[in-house]
Order: sequence, then structure tokens, then C-alpha cells
Amino acid sequence: MYKLLFAGLASFVLAGCSDQSWRTTDIGDIMPPLDFTLTNEEGETVHGEDYRGKATLVYFGYTFCPDVCPITLSRLGDTIRDLDDETRDNIQVLFISVDPSRDTPEVLKRYTDAFGPEFIGLSGEQAEIDAVTNRYRIAYEYGEENENGDYLVTHSSAVFAFDREGQAQFLMRDSHPVSDAEADIKRLASQGG
Amino acid sequence: MASNVFDVLNNRACRGLALGALALMLGTGVAQASTLEVSNARLSLLPGNTPGAGYFELANSGEETVTLVGAESPAFESVEMHVSSEHEGMAHMHAIESLDIAPGERIEFAPKGHHLMFMRRIEALSEGDKAEVVLEFSDEQRLPVTFDVVSPASL
Repeated sequence: MYKLLFAGLASFVLAGCSDQSWRTTDIGDIMPPLDFTLTNEEGETVHGEDYRGKATLVYFGYTFCPDVCPITLSRLGDTIRDLDDETRDNIQVLFISVDPSRDTPEVLKRYTDAFGPEFIGLSGEQAEIDAVTNRYRIAYEYGEENENGDYLVTHSSAVFAFDREGQAQFLMRDSHPVSDAEADIKRLASQGG
Repeated sequence: MASNVFDVLNNRACRGLALGALALMLGTGVAQASTLEVSNARLSLLPGNTPGAGYFELANSGEETVTLVGAESPAFESVEMHVSSEHEGMAHMHAIESLDIAPGERIEFAPKGHHLMFMRRIEALSEGDKAEVVLEFSDEQRLPVTFDVVSPASL
């Protein structure tokens, strides 16, 4: 009886101390590894496996977004700049545009350069974008064009995190305390591989 | 402190002169009409021609509700009032036509909430520049405000 209780307690404690307990939302068991076929800022076709070897944060947005996207990316940039040099070399941010008609490789390059060398812009054919958004169970939707041809895009607000092997780790939302998001990013980037 | 100075100068004849003097005294990022005060006016902008976002605080010290109905700037082809929101994991943004500010109320245009969306640059602007903006109200009042152009990383 005692033995059973102890075993239960021990496994509970171990689970609580496991390397996989993130302060933000753990998605290790529910999201697939990083995989996609998209186009990079040089106009080259790239795949998810090309980005293995570093901790990877993924955010889906569009450059015509004046508020939420630049603020989200800037805050990730702030966290990354707080890392020591060695750890900073172990993390990258993929900004996947769901608005390929406006977000050409040139536009994406200029945009992501503003946030730091760790930021990489990707987009692709609509079918390729749909494949990656479906894979991570998120949606996006184009608004109506105004008289200037401008339109807004509703998109996922989450940041997905993958380890250097491309395994899904955690998901961050605005509702998570900034300190939790920062702690998880630092821990992910510091993990050996 | 600035609002006290202005309350004393409530005479209509003094108003134009006082506004000019205040603009000189207060520098940028601040604007004031008799009962409306804007502070901390920043225009978040990235290189390229992507839209910018305007953030500020607006206080109504008058006795009437005022209604903000829009803004314009000689530096941009169009300016819209928008609000960002999050619903079921999706980031939404939509235009709003007007915003009431009750007597004594202070509203904040801030990241991931209300903001001005500045579209299509006419003037080349970069971090450290100033951008002239006029806030428009339903009673025809127009409030000139100088926004500091900043990087979103500073917000």
C-alpha cells in the first residue's frame, strides 16, 4: 500500500520536474514536428528540415499588419537580444506570411531584417501555406478589399516553438505572462543538442 | 502641469497664441486644445512601405463628450482608426468609425488595442523623425499632434 502510494507520488513529482514541463502551453504530444515546403527570402524553395539544428519559433502573420505582428516579433526580438551570444546563435524565428500576393521574398527580407538576424521570412503558394496552417491547426482569412485594394488578414496569434530536432515543444499566446514566455524561450534555446 | 497653464489661458483670444507657445514649450508627442490633451504620441514604423501604427493617450478634461472620428497626415495617403483583438487564438483587426471620450475620461491607443493605421507613405520617414498628424472630431474640432517616429521594438 505504502509502496504504491510512494510510486504514485514519485511519478507525480518526476512528471512535475520533467524537462518537458513548459510554463506556457505544452504541445509536445499534440503537434507534429516542424515540416513544410515554402519559399525563403531569396526566392528558393525550402523545407522544414532545412531549419533543424536550432531552436525555432514560428509565427504566422503578414507584413501589412501594422500593430499585432510587429509588436509580437519585436517582443520576441527583445527576448532573443537578452540571451547570451552563444545561446542567441541557437535560436531562429520563422515568420510565415499567409499573404503571399503582397509578401514577396523582397518585402519579407526587408521586413524581417528590421527585427534582427535571427528572423527569417517565408511564404509560398497558397496550397503550400494551407498545408502548413492545416498541419498546425490554425486558420487565416482575408478581409474585403477597400477602394485602394488594401485588405486586412485575420491570422493566428500564437507563437509555436520547436526544439533543434524540429519536435514541437510549446505554444505562446498573449494571455501567457511575458515572464513565462521569456523563461521558456531561454530554456529552449539553451538546451544542448 | 501643462493643463493648469492652459486652464488659466482659457480666453478665446489667447488660444491661438497659447497653442503656439505650448507647442514650443512642450515639444513633440504632445498636443493640447482647450479641453483635449494628447500625450505620448508615437508612430511605430518599419523600413519599407508597410503600414505604421499610431499610439497615444487622449484626455478629455471638458464637460462634454467628444467623439474622435478620424485622423489624417500629410505623410500618408490614408489613416484609419483600428482596433486589434484576439478571439479563440486568432488575431483580428477592424476599422472603427468613431470613438467617444466622456468628460474626464482618458483613453489610450496602445499596442494590440486601439491604434491609428497609417497607410502608403508619401514622405520617407524613419526612426527619430517627426510626423504631423491631425486628429479629427465630430464637432469639427481638429487637433494637430506631432508624433515621434519609433521602431516597434521601443514599445
